[in-house]
Amino acid sequence: MIRTEELLLNVGPQHPSTHGVFRIIVKLDGEVITEATPVIGYLHRGTEKLAENLTYTQVIPYTDRMDYVSAMTNNYVLCHAVETLMDLEIPERAEFLRLIVMELQRIASHLVWWGTYLLDIGAMSPFLYAFREREMIVNMFNELCGARLTYFYMRVGGVKWDAPEGWIDKVRDFIPYMREKLDEYEQLVSGNEIFLARVKGVGTYDAQSAIDFGLSGANLRSTGVKFDLRKDQPYSIYDRFDFDVPVQTAGDCYARYLVRFEEIKQSLRILEQAVEQFPEDGQIMAKVPRVIRPPEGEVYTRIESPRGEIGCHIVSKKKPQPYRLKFRRPSFVNLQILPKLLVGETMTNLVTILGGIDIVLGEVDG
Amino acid sequence: MKGIVKGMGVTLKNLTKKKVTHQYPDVPLEMPDRFRGVQHFDPEKCIVCNQCMNICPTDCIDLIGKKNPDPEKKGKVIDTYDINFEICILCDLCTEVCPTEAIVMTNNFELATYSRDDLFKNMEWLNDNNTNVRKENSINIPPKKAKKEEK
Amino acid sequence: MNLLQDLTFSSFMWFLSGAVVLLAVVLGFVTYAIYFERKVIGWIQLRKGPNRVGPLGLFQTVADVLKLLLKEDTIPRNADRFLFILAPVIAFVPAFVVLATIPYTSLLQFADLNVGLLYYFALSSISTIGILLGGWASNNKYSLLGGMRSAAQMISYEVPLVMSVVGVVLLSGSLSLNTIVEGQAGGFWQWNILPQFVGFIIFIIAAVSELNRTPFDLPEAESELVAGYHVEYSGFRFAFFMLAEYVYVYAIAALTTVLFLGGWHSPLPFLDFIPAIVWFILKFLSIVFFLFWIRATLPRIRVDHLMSLGWKVLLPLALVNIFVTTIVIELIKYFK
Repeated sequence: MIRTEELLLNVGPQHPSTHGVFRIIVKLDGEVITEATPVIGYLHRGTEKLAENLTYTQVIPYTDRMDYVSAMTNNYVLCHAVETLMDLEIPERAEFLRLIVMELQRIASHLVWWGTYLLDIGAMSPFLYAFREREMIVNMFNELCGARLTYFYMRVGGVKWDAPEGWIDKVRDFIPYMREKLDEYEQLVSGNEIFLARVKGVGTYDAQSAIDFGLSGANLRSTGVKFDLRKDQPYSIYDRFDFDVPVQTAGDCYARYLVRFEEIKQSLRILEQAVEQFPEDGQIMAKVPRVIRPPEGEVYTRIESPRGEIGCHIVSKKKPQPYRLKFRRPSFVNLQILPKLLVGETMTNLVTILGGIDIVLGEVDG
Repeated sequence: MKGIVKGMGVTLKNLTKKKVTHQYPDVPLEMPDRFRGVQHFDPEKCIVCNQCMNICPTDCIDLIGKKNPDPEKKGKVIDTYDINFEICILCDLCTEVCPTEAIVMTNNFELATYSRDDLFKNMEWLNDNNTNVRKENSINIPPKKAKKEEK
Repeated sequence: MNLLQDLTFSSFMWFLSGAVVLLAVVLGFVTYAIYFERKVIGWIQLRKGPNRVGPLGLFQTVADVLKLLLKEDTIPRNADRFLFILAPVIAFVPAFVVLATIPYTSLLQFADLNVGLLYYFALSSISTIGILLGGWASNNKYSLLGGMRSAAQMISYEVPLVMSVVGVVLLSGSLSLNTIVEGQAGGFWQWNILPQFVGFIIFIIAAVSELNRTPFDLPEAESELVAGYHVEYSGFRFAFFMLAEYVYVYAIAALTTVLFLGGWHSPLPFLDFIPAIVWFILKFLSIVFFLFWIRATLPRIRVDHLMSLGWKVLLPLALVNIFVTTIVIELIKYFK
């Protein structure tokens, strides 16, 4: 008597393709997933609760560790929120430095995504090529702020360090180099038939469900919704630069791949202009009191991180510590659509879809 | 097939390119000056103002001051100063607030040990860790010094 | 060959020592194939590859094997103990046995079977049973999936693999590998790769799939199934699976050389002064390098695409290839 039954498989928390300590309990019928339940929280550190006992400056290094692949944007969202609450004017040079590091960070973050995504799909070399370029960005950050991953570069009111001598030239030289490498990436991967077969039409959702699930970033733009906070609600000095918001309409993993790939090119465009307009001289810190006590009130600011809309909600009671600090973490929100996408897919596609969403577990778990 | 062949060409081209890896343990890694490594502590400069302890986001610094043994001098001198590198995140805030540059960053970063207990560093260890000290430290101090020189 | 009639004690010892020498050669090959693979992939990825153990890292694999052999032998409590132990053996033994029929030069061959090709395919398919058994006996869900994938892949690709070489067999009129090579003497334009180019392509694709190597490494698919069928294996049992995989690399590279690249014959007649074995080794190594090269470049193919590629593309192509080859041969005969 042959009996068939569903296989309950624990993918993770220790699994090569879950990008950290993430667990999905899948019910398999053969290799087809009939039900998927993500389990998160293995990396929960309670950043938001910890922040209630820390001063605003002390919270910034904690934001480094949320989305550790793109620490600069996290730094920025907190500083930006506090500055909005205090109504601070940021010096020009500081704004430019912030913008340059954020765009470099976006490239670095997308490179990490690109490399690991192809590693998930089974190609080894792209990962190392991507990290070669990321290494250059990381080294530039290292020269600028003295760390390679957890930068803690921004402060409320400005940035900690001015650009060292020759640093801007390094960024300038990096732009054509990166363009050349992007062509190489395209040759290596973007036309590869096996890769295209793996990602085209996989994990498709439409614009409505993307909006319903609150997706943002490339996950949203891959469905045809042209929404980028850098354009739609310009913060910092993004309104001064000329760049496009890449949009795809297919809504599958390939569309997300194309959007992110194009975003690297657009970031290079922004960088090119920013480096040209970089002010010769100027302050890097606004006049900020030694103890930061924002006025009583609430503020919610949001910016476009490489993963989507990252928001910061501060409730201040005119104390050095926030009364309540809440981050809208894009990885966490983007992950919510995963169980819906996985049903009916195979084990192989689980990896493709999960990688395509681009999550960082430090951010998912907060 | 075209895409696959193109990709094969890219990998073949990279086969003969210069390698980008570091021979790390054999050739030490040169870090830029601003690199935030393990702190160096100079007890002579410390005025026991407790600012570093208060600013530390992870509470990894413990210090105790005592009265100055020289009765003619005012103020306190440092008695014990410990940093727990299990939880120190090398965020640079302690060196940023230090008014006397008693605690400064160095470029040394090799902290791997066989036991967690070894990560608890006391004042002697931090004082002996005096190589590769960072040149630029507290953002508050250099401009002030420059102004004094002008005067 | 009247092997059985001549089997005296001295000839038995002769065969035994031959087998031992072959085993040593194969083990040496596997050791340095792994080293070479890691070096090549390292170079492609702008790394240096292993360089710590011994000069240029030459003893890296030796150290790795030593480590595997010294490891504690773990068998999961709920595993099927007997099959768990048996599986690596079943996977490895056929891998080694098929090497007997490979002709390295016209003189250097262990057994010139008149059904050499058939013998190779018949035995090599047994290894999959080892993989399937290992996946099942481990009592692990990942290994089960890996083992099942392996069985499905094996069934789908054995057929086009055998079909693709039928053209070669038709051309040389023999299943004996020695005769097939003899038929390709006299320069590279005589090699089977030219008249049988379609067959060659199908053969390479199906062979890589049979080897379970990237882009067809679905049974172990690291990023999906962690390590597939050998999740639970460690120590020397794992080493045997690894060994079987690399011995098959050896076997397939040698077989491709023999079937399509003219075996030990030089590409141009005036190069005949170079010993035959050198030519064989050169062709053999270029196939091995090709395998490493695609491993460094290509992403992994998906299971359903693998199946449809096997059944819908490779098999019809192989059949058409046989059909066309037959017609051409008959036409040539007719007009002669």
